[in-house]
Amino acid sequence: MEILTGNELLSGAAVYLDADGNWVAEIDRARLFAKDEAEARDAAIAASKATGRIVGVEIETVKMVDGRVVADRIRERIRAEGPTAPAFPRQELGEDGHVSI
Amino acid sequence: MYRYDEFDAAFVRERTAQFSDQVNRRLTGELNEDQFRPLRLMNGLYLQLHAYMLRVAVPYGTLSGRQMRKLAHIARTYDRGYGHFTTRQNIQFNWPRLKDVPEILAELASVEMHAIQTSGNCIRNVTTDQFAGAAADEIIDPRPVAEIIRQWSSLHPEFSYLPRKFKIAITGAPADRAAIRFHDIGLQAATNAAGDVGWEVWVGGGLGRTPMIGKMINGFVPNEHLLAYLESILRVYNRYGRRDNKYKARIKILVHEEGLETIKAQVEAEFSEVRGGVLTLPQEELDRIGSYFAPPSFEDLPATPIDIARETILDPAYGRWLDNNIFSHYRPGYASVTISLKPIGGAPGDATDAQMEAVADLAERYSFDELRVSHEQNLVLPHVRVADLRAVYDGLVEAGLAEGNAGLITDMIACPGLDFCALANARSIPIAQAISHKFAAPERQAEIGDLKIKISGCINACGHHHVGHIGILGVEKKGTELYQITLGGDGTEHASVGKILGPGFVADAVPDAIERLVDVYLGRRETPDEPFIATVRRLGDAPFKEALYGTT
Ligand code: SF4
Repeated sequence: MEILTGNELLSGAAVYLDADGNWVAEIDRARLFAKDEAEARDAAIAASKATGRIVGVEIETVKMVDGRVVADRIRERIRAEGPTAPAFPRQELGEDGHVSI
Repeated sequence: MYRYDEFDAAFVRERTAQFSDQVNRRLTGELNEDQFRPLRLMNGLYLQLHAYMLRVAVPYGTLSGRQMRKLAHIARTYDRGYGHFTTRQNIQFNWPRLKDVPEILAELASVEMHAIQTSGNCIRNVTTDQFAGAAADEIIDPRPVAEIIRQWSSLHPEFSYLPRKFKIAITGAPADRAAIRFHDIGLQAATNAAGDVGWEVWVGGGLGRTPMIGKMINGFVPNEHLLAYLESILRVYNRYGRRDNKYKARIKILVHEEGLETIKAQVEAEFSEVRGGVLTLPQEELDRIGSYFAPPSFEDLPATPIDIARETILDPAYGRWLDNNIFSHYRPGYASVTISLKPIGGAPGDATDAQMEAVADLAERYSFDELRVSHEQNLVLPHVRVADLRAVYDGLVEAGLAEGNAGLITDMIACPGLDFCALANARSIPIAQAISHKFAAPERQAEIGDLKIKISGCINACGHHHVGHIGILGVEKKGTELYQITLGGDGTEHASVGKILGPGFVADAVPDAIERLVDVYLGRRETPDEPFIATVRRLGDAPFKEALYGTT
């Protein structure tokens, strides 16, 4: 399965596209695209780029593990969780950081 | 310290205003990311895994108390209360918000600092010996020349789009503490037969994907012709450097592929054209800039021996600190102090805003308002009276900065790695922390002695792993972080590149693997005075390989 991720322009925070077309902070809320949804996925990428507010939109592959969305790459798992050492909370989206397509 | 002249002040101010406008245009959507990205990078603003990162240049690693306080203020006001000092003698802030960056740049400009040329294919911040202007073994203080190079290379129109980035390091001492042989150009002070001081010029060194030791292209370039000579090298590189392939675009590849003699002939041809021209440094200008770096008003003090054995009995932690963190000063009665940013289990190079303030205080009170950042991610108080060492130490204890481990196994370099860096393959900081915990016992560190461990989270080698006595390189294999261990690297005048010992280890196994290497050394060294790197050179890799992988 695939998700879309990027960084929100103002805060730089890692964000994910959810099922309602909002870019949100939590990977667990990410919309899951099945293999046969490439068209919808690509349309979402184009719409997100058009907002000019999400930087570096990428497709990432994920699995569901115990009801949670877990990225296949370690890099993405760290992006989703925040730095591990020293452990810091992730960057917060500001009030002006909500982007929808 | 150098003070900006009108030109410096004007260009930094103009650039800040320009960037402020560019950020606004990005926020209103007038600029898209493809247009904005190169502009923000020109101002040191990267986008990392979790947020933006602002890289601020600390010219040749020299700071005043006021500048350090400003960094503390920025950390506190716009970031998360800390900064990360890097192997490029710079500082990075990991959490700034885009709209705050113009303001941060204006704050920096108010103390004569900026983030220009901390990214991109231009000449980057010149780095030097952290004990420059203080070291007992120095021939000449390299900072005036470093400052001249800074002025020449700042916004140099011809060298703004080089084939790749370009790093220059300079040292005025025979003992190379600035790793000059691993820079695009390395400069080492030299004396000719007439007793004049000039520069040995090394070219084509570097780390990264293809580590190379620089080659000496000229054994003596007179001071007044140095800029002309540097310009000649840059011209040859700019013309012939491989723009077709990012991985082959550094000058080290050009020198390697064409051969030193070919490059030297081209440089000399260029030099004969420009020598004696506008780049010749007039004596008044040398004197003017040199005057900013005039020695502070040292007192005439008698040589003051430090009785480390006695102090160690009275206060072992203080004794350790004296033993490891004090460096010989050229003036009797003074010493340079290394402030370790490597507390046991800490993130190498990180300092909080409160710690930066404390260090600024100490610099103002005890070190003629001077501070340095070392490429080993520590700070330095260059000019402390021996009589004040205890007071400085007590101040550092209060700030949580009194680890007496400079040069020891827990004084590791580690890049930000996959906890922050968008280019990383694996984490670096937790590996450093685990090794630090493993070797935390001071007696054990003392027994092991000088040992440099350097850790990078990818082949770009910001953590200088190739020149670690033990180097650790993070790689990713099938979704797992693995760590390759190299042995025998050395960034000093005895330059060597470490060799990979064998297959990588998972993170949990790294501290034990390091311990096995250390145990071979302790078991096989000829005397307790033979340092780790000497034992490695004497024995070769074999016993160390065997300790890691068994007999093959
Ligand atoms: S070595 Fe690699 S992981 Fe480490 S800071 Fe440099 S680019 Fe990032």
